[in-house]
Amino acid sequence: MAEATDRPEGSKGWFWTGVTVLYALIVLFPIFWMATMMVKPNDAMFARPTQWLFTPTLEHFSYVLDQGFHWYLLTSFALCSVSTALVVIIGTPAAYAFARFEMRGKDDLFLFILGSRMAPPVCLVIPFYLIFAKVGLLDTFTGLTLAYMTFNLSFYIWVLRSFCRDLPVELEEAAALEGWSRLQIFRRVVFPLLRNGIVATAVLCFIFAWNEFLFAFMLGGKAMQTLPVSIPKLITAQGVRWGEMAVVGMTALLPVLAVVFVLQRHIVRGLTLGAVKG
Amino acid sequence: MDMPIMASAGDTITATQAPAPLPRERSWYPYLLIAPSMLMLVVVSLVPFLYTIYLSFHAAKFGRVTDFIGVDNYAVLLTDPRFWNSIGIAATFVFIAVPIEFMLGLIGALVLNQNVRGRSILIPLLFMPAMMAPIVVGLLWKIMLAGSWGFLSYNVLERFDILPGTSVFASPDYALYALIFVDIWQWTPFMMLAFFAGLQALPLGPYRAAAVDGAGPLQMFAHITLPMMTPLLAVIGLLRFIDAFKVFDTIYILTGGGPGITTETPSILANKMTFEFWNIGEASALAVLVWIAFFAFCSVFYQIAKKRLNAF
Repeated sequence: MAEATDRPEGSKGWFWTGVTVLYALIVLFPIFWMATMMVKPNDAMFARPTQWLFTPTLEHFSYVLDQGFHWYLLTSFALCSVSTALVVIIGTPAAYAFARFEMRGKDDLFLFILGSRMAPPVCLVIPFYLIFAKVGLLDTFTGLTLAYMTFNLSFYIWVLRSFCRDLPVELEEAAALEGWSRLQIFRRVVFPLLRNGIVATAVLCFIFAWNEFLFAFMLGGKAMQTLPVSIPKLITAQGVRWGEMAVVGMTALLPVLAVVFVLQRHIVRGLTLGAVKG
Repeated sequence: MDMPIMASAGDTITATQAPAPLPRERSWYPYLLIAPSMLMLVVVSLVPFLYTIYLSFHAAKFGRVTDFIGVDNYAVLLTDPRFWNSIGIAATFVFIAVPIEFMLGLIGALVLNQNVRGRSILIPLLFMPAMMAPIVVGLLWKIMLAGSWGFLSYNVLERFDILPGTSVFASPDYALYALIFVDIWQWTPFMMLAFFAGLQALPLGPYRAAAVDGAGPLQMFAHITLPMMTPLLAVIGLLRFIDAFKVFDTIYILTGGGPGITTETPSILANKMTFEFWNIGEASALAVLVWIAFFAFCSVFYQIAKKRLNAF
């Protein structure tokens, strides 16, 4: 694709770079501010006027560890990994089928998938809560994994389908003429070409699960507490533990930050155009 | 495979070059491929939906489902001013926040398209707000706008003598606008990058031709950029409308629907009905209405996007 320098508009690159950098600084300032609060002593935090310089402290970190927040981190990680793996295993063949084959009622099926993604989570949490209470899935790993499927499986099929459609069909046809079985074609032709798309989409699913709050809050009890759910718990009867909240918030943020930097091109596509294309 | 992914993604939006399906495959094979996913979606999506419909026709309080009461739950809900209040709140939220995000995003995309250097660093940075957990976004703004000591409360709101000493989220007059502000903060960069990806995918030919004809930047924007971007703008805008209507986490942690019911959207109301008042029948009726509205919206959107905009 053509580089931006070919564009008719815009030769004053540095001016616009400055504008963009300034905008980014303003947008990202709250994140920076929260990061400083991880090591800010309480009296400096509440000082008026706003205090820029202070002696760093690790007290917020030690409180967070004392309360066992590393277990929430572990729970989050396990839950997101398992539900994402499951989404990849059952979603990949479906995405491929939707991209490649004619099926009766394909539009309706696809609309069903679309509808699953569009449903507000609040609408789902009510029936989930009652059904889970009946079958003993409240506060269990399995229950939350299932609930996370609602938004992630449909999203995964949706986005991966667009990656599948970009694969050249000729390779598969050639392999079919060679007499390869469908499984061989998938394993040796489709899968290698699709690997990047699968990784990018799966990472997005992992992040959505990682960020999920409502299901984890309502369907997980004492045994299944994820990192986002632990944040409101720091609003205690003795007051809000702001520094500790900042620690947990940044902990929830850092993996996402890392992933976005490493996979940025794929992520932009997955989140925007991949989703748009349907 | 390794060309700029954002550019390659945009191409298929405007062109209808989806590869032809393999003709020989009208067999059981594709159904086998989708079966596990469909089964799972029936369990996690269709079953809960049908159960919600069932509940909405029953008296269901405190987790106990008792009598079939027909449409009573709907009747109560539709005559409840609190329900209509929540619709109004959500409409205000969505119809202020999304158009602003849209305009700012489009302007931002045009700026980003102007030979901006260091995009490989700027783009992931600008993507941060959209990728953050909504609950963390809420926390972030709770900190920035905390009463009296919050960075923005003290340095901006008090300086201009708006709401000294209290948090803006506790003000019945301003809380909703503060939430709108947070939504704009979170989603404008996302819109900007989505539109930028679209701009990068536009073909150069028409611009060259227009330049030969002596067209100015404004004319190029109105007659080339805008028409070619329409499908993308429409689809991203509509998706944002849907998502903005669903917002729950940030409102939950920032205001919880208050003060009073001034920021109570249908999502917040449904959650309160279920887990605070334990009036599950009425909450289910609300969920069904919202669900039907969303599904109708989706199918219309899907049809338009597919037929008119070639977006699917």
